[in-house]
Amino acid sequence: MEAPIVMGGRWFGFVVVVAAAICCAGVIFGAWWVTFLAGVALGAVIPARLAMPAASLAGLLAWGVLLAWEQWRYGLGPAAHSLAAIMGFTQLGPVVPVVLTCLVGLLLGLTGAWAGAATRSVLFSGQSASSR
Amino acid sequence: MLNNPILRVINLVAALLAAGAMLYVAFFGVSPLPALGPAFNPSTGAWTMAADAVGVGNQTLHLAGLQQQVRITIERDGTAHVVANTDHDLFLAVGYLHARFRLFQMDLLRRTGEGRLSEVVGKAALDNDRFELQLGLLRTAQLEWAQSSAVSKMALTAYSQGVNDRIDEAERLHQLPAMFTLLGYQPRPWTPIDTAIVKGDMTQTLNFTDTPLVMALLDKSLGADLTSKWFPVLPPNPQSPYDPGPYPSAAAPAPIAAMATLTDQQATSAAALYQRLASLPPGSIATGGASNNWAVATSKSASGGALLAGDPHLHLTLPAIWFQLTEDSPGYHTSGVSIPGTPVILIGHNEHIAWSLTDAQNQQTFFYNEKEDAAHPGQYFWQGGWHTYKTVSYDIPVLHGATEHLTVKLSAHGPVINERGLTTSVWWAGNLPSQDLDVVLRIGQASDFKAFRDALRDWYAPTHNFVYADDKGNIGLISAGYYPQVAKGQPWLPMPGTGEYDVTGTVPYANIPQIYDPPSSVVWSANQRQVGSDYPYYIGTASNFFDPGYRANEIHRVLSQDRQLTATDMMALQTDTRDFLASEITPLLVQALATDQLTGGEQQVREMLTNWDYTMAVDSAAASVWWTFWQDYLSQTFDPWWRAQGVKIDKQEVIDSLGQDLEAWTLGDPSNAAFTPPGGATQTATDAMRKAFHAAYSSLKADLGPDPGSWTWGTLHTRVLDNLAQISGLSYGPRAERGDANTPLAAGGSPSNHGPSWRMVVDWGTHTFSGIYPGGQSENPASSWYLDRVDTWWSGQYAPMLNASQAASSSGAATWKLQS
Repeated sequence: MEAPIVMGGRWFGFVVVVAAAICCAGVIFGAWWVTFLAGVALGAVIPARLAMPAASLAGLLAWGVLLAWEQWRYGLGPAAHSLAAIMGFTQLGPVVPVVLTCLVGLLLGLTGAWAGAATRSVLFSGQSASSR
Repeated sequence: MLNNPILRVINLVAALLAAGAMLYVAFFGVSPLPALGPAFNPSTGAWTMAADAVGVGNQTLHLAGLQQQVRITIERDGTAHVVANTDHDLFLAVGYLHARFRLFQMDLLRRTGEGRLSEVVGKAALDNDRFELQLGLLRTAQLEWAQSSAVSKMALTAYSQGVNDRIDEAERLHQLPAMFTLLGYQPRPWTPIDTAIVKGDMTQTLNFTDTPLVMALLDKSLGADLTSKWFPVLPPNPQSPYDPGPYPSAAAPAPIAAMATLTDQQATSAAALYQRLASLPPGSIATGGASNNWAVATSKSASGGALLAGDPHLHLTLPAIWFQLTEDSPGYHTSGVSIPGTPVILIGHNEHIAWSLTDAQNQQTFFYNEKEDAAHPGQYFWQGGWHTYKTVSYDIPVLHGATEHLTVKLSAHGPVINERGLTTSVWWAGNLPSQDLDVVLRIGQASDFKAFRDALRDWYAPTHNFVYADDKGNIGLISAGYYPQVAKGQPWLPMPGTGEYDVTGTVPYANIPQIYDPPSSVVWSANQRQVGSDYPYYIGTASNFFDPGYRANEIHRVLSQDRQLTATDMMALQTDTRDFLASEITPLLVQALATDQLTGGEQQVREMLTNWDYTMAVDSAAASVWWTFWQDYLSQTFDPWWRAQGVKIDKQEVIDSLGQDLEAWTLGDPSNAAFTPPGGATQTATDAMRKAFHAAYSSLKADLGPDPGSWTWGTLHTRVLDNLAQISGLSYGPRAERGDANTPLAAGGSPSNHGPSWRMVVDWGTHTFSGIYPGGQSENPASSWYLDRVDTWWSGQYAPMLNASQAASSSGAATWKLQS
């Protein structure tokens, strides 16, 4: 009974990393919506209970890693302070734009996966439930 | 998991709704959040401001349109030094530089003047856009471009190319300033007309005034008699005109007449237009200038060379209105500050001369009530006949709204800007196409006063006091610009538009205020009336066109001292906080209190005033007492009249005029009838001063506690540097600040957001040039160049203005090689 779980964890991790890489590529070239499409694709091809966390994680990872990369290269403190001020969140501080950025990645992945999985569920409702 | 088909459909609907909502917010944003997807993209969104903030290193850049290689040295503080082998390349490189560091500011300036703000911020800006298109900055800019000289055309075309090179580069590399990303638009290409618009913005801020409307409303409520007494054409108080005459005689004398009485219809119309102008954003209307400049000739200079100092006072913003640089090419060798959006150094020096400017304040805005009747729809009566209004149409795109169509009517006087009540058009000198760029280019090449003065002949608006000092020890001052003259009528009020009261021309150039190498060896201006009472032309009323004169008087006092002056003295004078008005009035107040009943605390405060040196220092309690007293003295004297006469104009709007009156009466007419409230017991200046002192003491005690020693000026008076996009979190301050509205270090109001936008001191004897402005070279709030000059400026310190070769060998400098 252990083997399928281990295999599932590896498979899950692999899916997340591949999806995150695709999201990263999109974000780097300005195509931020690729994160949503990656979520849709995951939702369409793997079970929803795995697709939604995988896409969420992939989105969070992609946007978070790229943010961390910018932090490592340039330091994001002053930029985060400025963005918070521009949005009117001076009191809440620089954490707001950082959280928002990660949240955008996460939610794009999550909503994409949910939409993909729900569509698939309706279109292919006659197929075996085990595939979902 | 969802075996029920209905649940599956419900799940799908919920998923699509959630995805739709997320995508909507990501693509379009929901206030106050921007479009989250592009804005927060870590690689290409607003976070790129972090990369831009890192600073610059040695680089080779490729710009389209360059003829030869250009070298730009960037000092550690961002001051740029452009060295080009052709004039064309110089202006192209300056365009690139401005756009590299100030692109959003430039776009905001042009959009403001072109009436295109609504396109990016929505209908909140629609009133402003309508007004700007009516007023006509865009029409004037188009005419100016069409009439430009070959040199100007070359400079403007090259400059635009440089700006557009940067826009292309920034878009390609995802380096557009964050505000574009956050607002969700991309800058359109820069054109020469945009540069003329930016110049127009400055003209409007400095010289488009509503004073005739204010005078009309005062006339209607206070009556013609009091209005003419309290708001006279010639100043009632002692002033220091820099050009004392003798003056040439005019062909026709100035139309200085008694105040006419307005009809209800005229007053209603003036009130409607006044309200409309009052609702426009700050900067749309000139609200009184405050700048200083002066020069000292060799005979009074300790270094043996002429000295020059200039500090133009403007709305202090982040980023600042100025960008500091030097420009070197075969035709130009200038150093100083430029306005982003324009290719030239407006204030600075070249190898032989230095110059600075203050606003001259003469009346350049005239309102005309057009004569219309129902039998002639779409027409107005002018010069004996009916004429059809010309019309111009504009479309104003509105973010998240329908495009607005606007038709602007134009009479012989100018654009119609009010149709509530009487139809009112405006004659504004800013609408005269003028080749100001040509003028500044020629100033940059001038090497003596003759060339400087000749260049300024073509300067129209805003009229400026241009101060001059050269490397041969000569000094001068000339108030260049257009001085509109009317054949008859009362230009300080809205006038009939039937033709008899039209602007007929300007004061001949030889007769405008000017002076060169005066025997006193000093020249100075601080927005005061430049000429004495026998000047034969009408140039504006005493105040709200001109400054009350306290700064000018103080500057004149210091410069006239019998000693040799140094550059250090110039710097000290630029940050002088001695209040000239206080120095006149406080001794009289102390004297009035000598025989008054005072409490122990009031005695202590009187002692404080007795020993005060009249400086508005941050730690001065006497300064707080003086300022509070003066406000109470004004209220004590004028509030009863305001209430009794039902004056609708806020007293603060004309406080400079009232202050001049109060000063003059206190010094020379203490029994003036104004001190006696309408229907009240007879009162003199002494009575009013005593009452005001008691009121000031009580209010300070209530607000700041019982210990007068703790009533420091810094607790009452602060300064703020406003973010240009009105984002309060990116502003600086409020911070305790010295000075007040009357001191050479101008800091009117609290928090004060207006003041010395650039301080420059030149010593031709030692060939040293110093300058500083509040803010920094970059508009990026994450950059260290956003605020890095503020502390230096605040403390009254200066930075050396290096030339290109000095900069290249300075510590921390970077070099850019620009090539095609």
